[in-house]
Amino acid sequence: MRLEISDSIKYSIFWRSLGIAIFLIIWEVASIAVSSNLILPGPLLVLKTLLEMCQKIPFWLSVGGSFLRVLEAFLLSVVLGILTGTLSGMLPRFRNTLSPIMTGIRATPVLALILLAMFWFPSSQVPVFSAVLMAFPIMHTGAEIGVQATDVKLLQMSKLFSVPWKTVLWKLRIPSAMPHLLSGAKNALGISWKVIVAGEVLSQPRFALGTGMQEARLSLETPSVFAWALMTIALCGLTEYLFGTLMRRHFRPLPRSANQSLATRSVS
Amino acid sequence: MSYAVHDLTKSFGSLQVLERIDFSFQESSIIAILGPSGCGKTTILNLVSGIIPPDSGALDGFSGKHYSYCFQEPRLLDWLTVEENMRYALASRLSVESTRSMTLSRIDRFLREAGLADFASYLPRELSGGMQKRLSLARAFASPSDILLLDEAFSAVDLKQRMDLMRTFLGLWSDEKPTTIIVTHDIHDALYLAHTIIVLSQRPSRVVSSIAIDIPHEERVFSSRSMARYEMELYRLLGFNRQE
Repeated sequence: MRLEISDSIKYSIFWRSLGIAIFLIIWEVASIAVSSNLILPGPLLVLKTLLEMCQKIPFWLSVGGSFLRVLEAFLLSVVLGILTGTLSGMLPRFRNTLSPIMTGIRATPVLALILLAMFWFPSSQVPVFSAVLMAFPIMHTGAEIGVQATDVKLLQMSKLFSVPWKTVLWKLRIPSAMPHLLSGAKNALGISWKVIVAGEVLSQPRFALGTGMQEARLSLETPSVFAWALMTIALCGLTEYLFGTLMRRHFRPLPRSANQSLATRSVS
Repeated sequence: MSYAVHDLTKSFGSLQVLERIDFSFQESSIIAILGPSGCGKTTILNLVSGIIPPDSGALDGFSGKHYSYCFQEPRLLDWLTVEENMRYALASRLSVESTRSMTLSRIDRFLREAGLADFASYLPRELSGGMQKRLSLARAFASPSDILLLDEAFSAVDLKQRMDLMRTFLGLWSDEKPTTIIVTHDIHDALYLAHTIIVLSQRPSRVVSSIAIDIPHEERVFSSRSMARYEMELYRLLGFNRQE
């Protein structure tokens, strides 16, 4: 069994690596065809530029600044989304009242949000506000579906056995909602990175990936723009991976005993 | 102490399920409600336990009683182990210091008696269907109650598992003899387990007959002449003839 899992991971790594290799080859070929670093620098040049940038302290301050903004927006979205989503899942009147507001927020283009936020907030908070408005509805929907995901039959069983509400909450309702909450949170994290960087490009706060990207664009340093973008993608992927790993470790709806091989313990 | 159901009627929209259901039974007895599929047997359990209200009729002796329910499907929490599922159902007793140790020993005892002591750390999905049903039975017995309700608890398993389950049930029941209402569509389940069998008609259900089985459990052998007599009678009441 262990061998099979290991093989499947190997295959997965192989195909992913192949996908990355094909992308890099297409990029390199296109770069050679265009033969202008101003329009499309090759992957090696972008990597070299990125490595050079990594040796400078302002670069890491920008990474830290953007990361803190993402963290702030993500946490606000999670708290707000869980609060409104839970209430929506439990109270149909609240859900109906909130529905047009949520539809409005979802339909608003991100750029329009950023431009409006620039009138209302200091430049460092514009990306955070925009990201919260984009990520919070995702979290809200996850929480709303999560609340409604509890099996009615299990709730009925709990009522018959007079299970205390606190036990029902921690042992039944939260584990039932968790897959939807985690899925919502993971998507909210990804969208937070995208909107934060887009907001930074427009609002130009100090210490920000987006600011670095915009300054590089204005100086016509295309390899630097690519390098900033590459760093953003890497950070987004890394935080999503770390978040997924952390959540799987702490909130996996399986007890410790289940970590042993299921196949060897199955009884039929 | 006796329990009685008087003129119980229940409809779901325009669909009338129960029509003036009447029966009574003694404390510490096993009563089987037997009838064709879809005749409203589960509805009777839901009415008795207060999950749904009746349209009309009365329930005597049920007020203020504690119920334990073994559902048609095991209704286990997939992410909790066998022991944790038992603890979940008994959480209200475990949270009180004075009943905690007694409840823990009840959990151990009923898991052992259901043959699941070695599987306490297993997840429900790691168990066979029969074992999940045994866990559901053990949970129902372990939860102290005045009335135990069993809804098709022995169905959807093969013949051997079914016999094992019924033996497990009788073994558990004989310890404390809780008043038990079993709902089944299977004549043999009812004959093997019940002291009294209430036979229902097709929907809208009425009570066709109430039969007292005066054979001790240990003497209930399906091929015996005395059991065959009851079996023939039940087939007749359910509308089957000998050829069918």
